[in-house]
Amino acid sequence: MVLPQEAVILLTSILAWFGLYLIVNLSLNLEFGYTGIPNFGKLLVVAAGAYVAGYLPGRLMVGMANVDPSLDYIADNAVIVTQINSFLNQNPHISLSLLFLTLIVATGIGAGLGFIASYPAIRLREEYLAMTLLAMAEVIRVIGYNYKPLIGGTLGVQVPDPLAFVPGELRFSMMSLVILAIAGFIFLYVERLVRSPLGRVLRAVRDSEAAAETLGKDIVRIRTKILVVSSAIGAVGGAMHALYTSGVISLTYDRVSWTFWPWVMVLMGGMANNVGVMLGTLIFVALRQLITFYKGVLEPILPFNVIWLDYILLGSTLIIILMYRPEGVLPEKATRTLDFKKLWARLNGRRSA
Amino acid sequence: MVLVFPPIFREAIIFSSLLTLLSIGLTLTYMTTRVPNFAHGSFATVGAYISLVAVRLMSVSPYLFLPIAFLVSGFVALLLYRAVLRPLMRRGASTILLMVATIAFDMLLIAALNIFADYLSRTYKITSRYFSLKAADIRVEGIPMVFYVAPLIAVGLILTLYLLLTKTKFGVAMRAAIENPSLAGVVGINIDLVYTISWILAGGLAGIAGLLMSLWFIGNPDLGTLILVSIFSASIVGGLLNIYGAILGGFLVGFAEVIVTSRLASVLGVWVVPFRPVIPLLIMVIALLTIPGGLSSIRWSSIAKLWRR
Repeated sequence: MVLPQEAVILLTSILAWFGLYLIVNLSLNLEFGYTGIPNFGKLLVVAAGAYVAGYLPGRLMVGMANVDPSLDYIADNAVIVTQINSFLNQNPHISLSLLFLTLIVATGIGAGLGFIASYPAIRLREEYLAMTLLAMAEVIRVIGYNYKPLIGGTLGVQVPDPLAFVPGELRFSMMSLVILAIAGFIFLYVERLVRSPLGRVLRAVRDSEAAAETLGKDIVRIRTKILVVSSAIGAVGGAMHALYTSGVISLTYDRVSWTFWPWVMVLMGGMANNVGVMLGTLIFVALRQLITFYKGVLEPILPFNVIWLDYILLGSTLIIILMYRPEGVLPEKATRTLDFKKLWARLNGRRSA
Repeated sequence: MVLVFPPIFREAIIFSSLLTLLSIGLTLTYMTTRVPNFAHGSFATVGAYISLVAVRLMSVSPYLFLPIAFLVSGFVALLLYRAVLRPLMRRGASTILLMVATIAFDMLLIAALNIFADYLSRTYKITSRYFSLKAADIRVEGIPMVFYVAPLIAVGLILTLYLLLTKTKFGVAMRAAIENPSLAGVVGINIDLVYTISWILAGGLAGIAGLLMSLWFIGNPDLGTLILVSIFSASIVGGLLNIYGAILGGFLVGFAEVIVTSRLASVLGVWVVPFRPVIPLLIMVIALLTIPGGLSSIRWSSIAKLWRR
């Protein structure tokens, strides 16, 4: 069966965005769903990851690709990145190492920011914490907008394409696959983590701090640990977004796209249920992509600009979810304990043996 | 006699007066219903657009529209409380989920404001984004009237609020409902009415602040989003649970933002100006880590005692 070109483009972009948002949403679910840290500053690490992808690989490759050193990285960005891409085109090994290096640095920066964010997170009550994290994310946005040497301010920079060696028409589908693979790996990692003893402690901290503390759990360390891990994951999402779109424009990193939308998706799918989060992510990514894709069709029907449909969708679905299904489509499953009868039988069996 | 102030001081006065009005409203709704309202900034944007309508469509002085700004923004706040928050509170939603609900409402409000701005520019061919109404202000000996009106209205409204809370029966009932809702309910105070009125008041004050803001600052649908961090910072510095703290916080954050930015700009260069939003964040973080209860939690008498020793 041959799909029409348009459908293929739509499908690959839905898959890619699904992967990107899944990465970010899993990290939010780990923070809020499992540990109860209301992170209203998810944008902080996502933008940081994207800034790493905008800053690092291009500058690293300048020397290797024999770019004229008199060129300014920001002002002559298009020329430089074109030259780097034609170099990467010939060197798949260097390209892939560059991809991994970018992701590793983004992970490190994300973890560092998570550690900084944990400073208020272990001290403040939830609403104060939410406001502080939101304000911290605002600051990184302001830096991205105004500090030109980093990622070129509001004009943005292009990012070297680590998949430049893949032939043109396959590049986007290949990138989508890479994103999905990373998202899948993170999904498995987070699932393992929340099913481990640590995962049970997280839920204990969320449900009753006092009880967890009484049982000797170090809440400060657990919250710090989770913020470091989840922030590193969030930064990977940001870096992959920049690599996918081959560019970093600070305007695309705002709190609506990267803090509020992830919240909607996590709440829709079901807090503390990773499969639910996957479902919520798929629903909203598909909806938003369809709106963007059929902009031309929607424009004449709607009495207003299509951009605001995104906001209306966000606001109204969020209110509806909170009113009618605050636990999400797939609610958190109760932790299964061992069957008492079996346990009893086994204990008795051992005693008699 | 006309006092001569340097322009930067003028800006600081206007900004802090309006910030105070906004942080009082935020504090009031937090005190009563315990919801940190993320849509509070956009209530002010509504006021700014009412000012635009007054000046550009009706060709009247925006000051005449102050009561209308109060009513419309108050109504928007009422809508948020009655249609969204109250049903959620009855279902037992947590603070965080209520906060998320105010964000959702904010998104809808921002979309509505943008659609309204598009409508204005399409139908009436007027600038409805990044608009400046400075020219529409009345000038008193060369100084824009808003410089006098903003602090006067702020002080006037604060005094009215003070009298309302201390001298009227309703105000006493309101304080009782804040202090201990269930006990207040037992003695027959209609708590729901108190909450509703506090939301209308908060929205109304924000509307007035927004209208006055449009006479000095650039108006845009994201005006409220941009000052939200400053409002939170001012309220948190004030302690979030004390209206008089919010006044102190509003002036502290307002002055710090304007004066520190201009001082730094003259020392380091104009590139620091866009980084102004860092200042309220820093103030907020320092306040939270050193005096988590805010300025209003400091026991000044005990500090004075230490001093005397």
